Amino acid sequence: MGDKSSDLVQGTLEMLVLKTLAAGPMHGYGITLRIEQMSEGVFVVNPGSLFPALSRMERAGSIKAEWRATENNRRAKYYLLTDQGREALRSETETWGRQIIAINRILEA
Amino acid sequence: MILRSLVSGVKALFDKKRRNSEIDEELQGYMDTAVEEMMRRGIDRERALRIVRADVGSGEVVKHRVWSAGWESAVESLWKDFLYTVRRLSRSPGLVLTVVLSIGLGIGANSTIFSIVSRVLLEPPPVGDPSTLTTLFLTHDGDKCCNEFSGPDYKDVRDQAKSFSGVAAYYELVPASIAGSREPERVWGQSVTTNYFDVTQLHMPLGRGFMSNEDRVPVIVLGYGLWQRRFGGDPAIVGKPISLSGHVYTVVGVAPRGYRGLDLVLDPQFWVPLGDLTQLVPNPPDVNSRTFHWLRIAARLNPGVTQAQAMAELRVLAQSLARAHPESDKGNGFLMVQAGQLPRAGAFAAALLFLAALSVVVLLVLCIACANVANLLLALTASRQKEMGVRLALGATRSQLLRQMLMESVLLALGGGVLGVVLSVWSTSALSAFRLPAPVPLYLGVSVDWRVVLYTFLLSLVAGVAFGFGPSWKASRPILSRALKGEDSFARPGRRFSLRDVLVVAQISLSLVLLCATGLFLRSLQGAANIDIGFRSRGVLMMAVDPQIHGYTATRTIQLLSELRRRVATLPGVSSVATTDFVPLSMGGRSDGFVVEGRPAPTGEPPGSELYMISPDYFETMGIPRIAGRALDDENPDAPKVAVVNEEFARRLFKHDSPIGQRVTGGGVTYQIVGVVGDIKSRTLGEADRPVLYRSINQNIAGDPAFNGYSLMVRYTGDPSVLSAAIRHEISVLDPSLAVFNTQTIEEHLRDALFLPRLAGTLFGVFGFIGILLATVGLYSVMSYSVSRRTREIGIRIALGARTGVVQRLIVTEGMRLTVIAIAVGLPLALAASKLSASILYGVRPYDAVTFTTIPVILLAVALLACWIPSRRASRVDPMKTLRCDG
Repeated sequence: MGDKSSDLVQGTLEMLVLKTLAAGPMHGYGITLRIEQMSEGVFVVNPGSLFPALSRMERAGSIKAEWRATENNRRAKYYLLTDQGREALRSETETWGRQIIAINRILEA
Repeated sequence: MILRSLVSGVKALFDKKRRNSEIDEELQGYMDTAVEEMMRRGIDRERALRIVRADVGSGEVVKHRVWSAGWESAVESLWKDFLYTVRRLSRSPGLVLTVVLSIGLGIGANSTIFSIVSRVLLEPPPVGDPSTLTTLFLTHDGDKCCNEFSGPDYKDVRDQAKSFSGVAAYYELVPASIAGSREPERVWGQSVTTNYFDVTQLHMPLGRGFMSNEDRVPVIVLGYGLWQRRFGGDPAIVGKPISLSGHVYTVVGVAPRGYRGLDLVLDPQFWVPLGDLTQLVPNPPDVNSRTFHWLRIAARLNPGVTQAQAMAELRVLAQSLARAHPESDKGNGFLMVQAGQLPRAGAFAAALLFLAALSVVVLLVLCIACANVANLLLALTASRQKEMGVRLALGATRSQLLRQMLMESVLLALGGGVLGVVLSVWSTSALSAFRLPAPVPLYLGVSVDWRVVLYTFLLSLVAGVAFGFGPSWKASRPILSRALKGEDSFARPGRRFSLRDVLVVAQISLSLVLLCATGLFLRSLQGAANIDIGFRSRGVLMMAVDPQIHGYTATRTIQLLSELRRRVATLPGVSSVATTDFVPLSMGGRSDGFVVEGRPAPTGEPPGSELYMISPDYFETMGIPRIAGRALDDENPDAPKVAVVNEEFARRLFKHDSPIGQRVTGGGVTYQIVGVVGDIKSRTLGEADRPVLYRSINQNIAGDPAFNGYSLMVRYTGDPSVLSAAIRHEISVLDPSLAVFNTQTIEEHLRDALFLPRLAGTLFGVFGFIGILLATVGLYSVMSYSVSRRTREIGIRIALGARTGVVQRLIVTEGMRLTVIAIAVGLPLALAASKLSASILYGVRPYDAVTFTTIPVILLAVALLACWIPSRRASRVDPMKTLRCDG
């Protein structure tokens, strides 16, 4: 299995993580699973990319982490969206939308 | 947000273990959940585990990548490099010592010169808001620099210029004698307008400046040094009366520590109001004369006004003044200089040029040191190729190796910087002890300030990168396959000269240049000692008094001086005694242009002649030979003025005619020439003979009093200190309030007069010595490296029967070839450099054969020694050992 997340445009992984967390707190594997499901298997995020990204985002203050018990009663680190993260998601989605439209215009011209 | 990143980064740094176990746990949880999820989808446990493990990869890699996401990882690896470097260096103290010493010497030289630059060009005077304080000068005849202001000029600028919030004037140096319970002492101060302290915004540690109504009140502000020295730092000094040149002054304040007025080198020690000048100076300049230029100006810019705007206003003002007073102000202009600086013209420009030359020289020395160390490190990296190869093979990147090597050289250079600062602290205090033979008090102290330390730090960094980059670059790029086999992996085939050879050639030729300069200055010192100064160079004692600042009239001064001569002449060991207003070779003097009466005035400026006032027996005491006519006697003050001229004066003004009986006019006074005497060096040792006119003290003291008192010149045999005590006693019998100053023998005076070649000789000598030391170490290290690299070859040669002498010759020839090339390169450079310094050489031609043959020979001898030591090691190579050893 190749690391398909490397196909992601630089910086989009963080946006996807933010979007995923907007649905509610989640642990690392949960995020991977969710992104894989939502992209219908196109994006497979592996921990080698995910954890550094999470660490960066936590440092930047857009998410925060808590150790919680999982449904199987195991300890796991859950990530939550902060207000700042919500704002970052909003502005990044907007920018992304504009860029997509622009790129499409160029490709279709 | 930056703060949070900082805090969590620092936390992570100090709690790496906990952070790592946290990542471990999270990763483990991730994998467990993933496996469970797969098992839930019906994949069996074994297979799920395999898939997940393959997916996640090495836990260490993940950890490392998480770790590298924060800034703290960069800090951590730098810190690791640092520890590694310190460990490595501490294992080779010899290397550390050599490098720190080499670089330290080079940097110390630079810091020393920079501390002069800092003092002369960078350090603002200790006034309030130095950036808006300027000093003004007058230019004349277009833009010729520079005159002081006349009284009316000052008033015009003060009243009319809108760019300034305040304009103060001061008379640069006023001599006075301070009396008290102790022996009277001569001190110098400044006479200032009452707004001086407001314009300069000095922060007075004690008391206050002057009030606007105190222009004619005897009040005084003491300099910090004088207050400490003479009054023991008395905290209650304000309000106390002190005696200044026989007048009572009330102390109103003490100037801040280190404040020496706004000029660069003068050392005034008190300040009094300008209106009171008549009390202290016998013939003060006329405040209302437009032609007498005597005031210095300090002007404070209005807030928001730039220097350029103020200059624009002054230019307009200069034009209107020139229109209003064409006879005196035509062609005049203003020049604005940042306070604490001098206009860049004349002597100051020459001094700056000298400083620039010195800066170049010390940079050359540092270059030598860097080249030397680069060489040493290159030789060293050769022995580290295997280590580098292994590290590269194990996955270190070349940039990581480069970084670590650079860290090593920068650390070494910073060590050199610390040594450099220590050296420059020592050398600046030695420099501050140099004395100038000037009649006025000068402050020439330099010290290491924060600018110097900062400069040294930056210079060390640059030096570290400069000498470290070459070797590091090379070390981080070995040919891997060879390095791992223990072969020389740096040697690229087909190169005749390596970088090392070029560096060592450069070093030797640079030190040749420096040593030749040193040689020239030493020869110049020798030459200066042989210069015929035209007067006695030993056995004369000089002491000065200044009766006129004590309110003596001209007549009383004449009486005092002749009584003093009479008394001193009777002292034991004294063979003759005279008085004069100025001792020759004091770097300055009075001069006027003279024309011959009854002859058509020559075109252009009349030649400037030096003016000396003398008493009877002057020529005899000074040993100046009489050529024709008579000497000056105890002339009648009221008779027509007579003068004796020197041969140069006679040559210039009278060609082949006899000057005796002729009348000459200069400075508005006419003299009849009664005699001719031999030439002397009047201002500096190196000068061409100047015309000199000697006139009688008796006849001229009333109209033209001496600026700096009267020197007693005593020709003696025996112990000068006993004699000077006896003369002091005679002076105090005549007037106990007179301060005695400038007590010196003529030998001491001449030694001071030689200060320039001595200073230059010492400096170049020190640098040349450092240079040759470094070059020798450099050559030695290159030859040692060469020997260690060729050990196997030498072993084979010896095994095949080469004799010791042959092996030695092999190495020595290699080294000497470099030396000869270096001398061939350096000699033309040295000749070119010596031509540049020709203007400050005395009695030596720049292409001095002695210097340019001796120095290369010395250099060859030293180089021979540097090659001989490694060559001995080469000859002792044991062929059995070298041939057996494979690395």
